[in-house]
Amino acid sequence: MASKPLFIMLCSGEHEKIQLAAMVASVAAVSDRPVEVFVSMNAVLAFERGKTAAERYHGGHFHELFKTAKVPDAVELFEQGKLLGEMKVWACSMVLDLKHWECDTHLTEGLFDGPLGLAKFLSDAEAGELITF
Amino acid sequence: MADRQTIDARGAFCPGPLMELIAALKLAQLGDEVEVLSSDKGSVTDIPAWVNKVGHTYVGTVEHDGYWSVVIKKAK
Repeated sequence: MASKPLFIMLCSGEHEKIQLAAMVASVAAVSDRPVEVFVSMNAVLAFERGKTAAERYHGGHFHELFKTAKVPDAVELFEQGKLLGEMKVWACSMVLDLKHWECDTHLTEGLFDGPLGLAKFLSDAEAGELITF
Repeated sequence: MADRQTIDARGAFCPGPLMELIAALKLAQLGDEVEVLSSDKGSVTDIPAWVNKVGHTYVGTVEHDGYWSVVIKKAK
């Protein structure tokens, strides 16, 4: 039986939450579970094109541990999930409008499938399970 | 004849070893075995669970000094 799609709303800019969202999304995607990720609010800032890992992530205790341990980079985990499984990543259209950003020019190259409105994401999410970070 | 390759993912944290295994399986031929060396304790349960979920064959796990060897056979 096919797994229910997993819908992830990522809105926190905290490294720990972005990391866990990336872990959940990538592992679900490579486990034959379709995944859709909606990136909004401060989380979008971590995906700004051209940022280094040091500039991208901010957080607390585990953020400091991530920096010194060999923990997979969150953005790379999302990329692996897309490459090896079925995953779509959407950028919140409202946040893009507020920042005057475009997916194709301001966000991590090749990761985003495009901008998406909240109502569309929520409508799609009725077909599966929704979790928020 | 089936091949076996070894991936040394020691030092990588979750889900690094699993992701490295999956990337290797994509390139392997049907019947090939992939051995993952992992110092991440979660891999011992995560990799067999993933294999069971997606339909490959779990061959076995051997504990070494500070790491585990987990062997998978590509079945699809």
